[in-house]
Amino acid sequence: MTAEDLYQEALVRLARERAGAGRLEGPGGSATLDNPLCGDRVTVEVRLAGGRIEAVAHRVHGCVLCEASASLLGSGARGLTPAQVEAARGAVEALLRQGTPPPEAPLGGLSVFTPVRNVPSRHTCVLLPFDALRAAVSGAKG
Amino acid sequence: MRRDTLAALRADLAAKRPVVLAVDLASGSSRLVHPAGGDEGVDPALLSAARQAAADDQSRRWDGPGGPMFLRVYNPPVKLVIVGAVHIAQALAPMARLAGYDVAVVDPRRSFATEERFQGVELVREWPDEALARLGLGPRTAVVTMTHDPKIDDPALVAALRAPVFYIGCLGSKKTQAARRERLARQGFDEAALARLHGPVGLPIGAVSTAEIAVSILSELVSCLRQGSASR
Repeated sequence: MTAEDLYQEALVRLARERAGAGRLEGPGGSATLDNPLCGDRVTVEVRLAGGRIEAVAHRVHGCVLCEASASLLGSGARGLTPAQVEAARGAVEALLRQGTPPPEAPLGGLSVFTPVRNVPSRHTCVLLPFDALRAAVSGAKG
Repeated sequence: MRRDTLAALRADLAAKRPVVLAVDLASGSSRLVHPAGGDEGVDPALLSAARQAAADDQSRRWDGPGGPMFLRVYNPPVKLVIVGAVHIAQALAPMARLAGYDVAVVDPRRSFATEERFQGVELVREWPDEALARLGLGPRTAVVTMTHDPKIDDPALVAALRAPVFYIGCLGSKKTQAARRERLARQGFDEAALARLHGPVGLPIGAVSTAEIAVSILSELVSCLRQGSASR
């Protein structure tokens, strides 16, 4: 098995976990973004407390990459500040665009998306949940 | 016809509710009978006859226990739900409208589902599972999937297979159809359910151009509507 295959499997597994899938009771902020070319659609809801994400939930209509990305945020975004959300988004974008190995903080596990680097047309699939989280956080109270 | 009967009939037509106008041929008096039920004081034999006439989409004379009646069927238009705002859909949608059908084009991809490409057609820029639940799939609905993207086509087919729609067509080659049937079988649909899928879609008339393919799809749809099966 090649490393590529392993990552693909890890991506599928991550997508199937659907961590954080669902809704929040009384979200402080929420955002829905879509990709008009492929139809992927992500809604992210957050609740902030003390300047950090206290709870996060998402609903995804999309491909495995989009689902995996949302699932990673669903399991890892709790406790992040808006600045750290920005940093994590920057790290995943740098991985996709330049192949920069992602740091394990503030959000671990981003290297799972390494194989996507070679398929530029699919970068948006991974970034869409990050963008939705960013939008939800920026519009959130607390 | 009494004015209140006429008003009620117009309301049913506007709401796209199937209704049968039952006219007593001896007295000329008339009343409305809804195949879905809920009318007060309807003779069960009349209700059953009205249901049959509506199901056949055919007005007819009926000799009931109270004497001869004429059952005039007012069915809502056939609804065609096209999933995928693609090239062939641009030809199929206006053709289906000319045939008198209501047409909705469902596609969450906003760059495809544009007013410029589909003038005068109901455009639903949502995912098919949500869109089809909202549009409602009944015995006078046909669903045709065209996106070639399983993540969009499959949820539409799952919804269609769970509903009593009269026609389900799937654009795609024989190879695509085989893979599609395998995926749907994994979701729990048996052979009998999958036999409702028409794919490769359309009657085999040697269609080549986009518009010709639309003709072949529409022909198959009409055949299923009027003859209960595709006359291959």
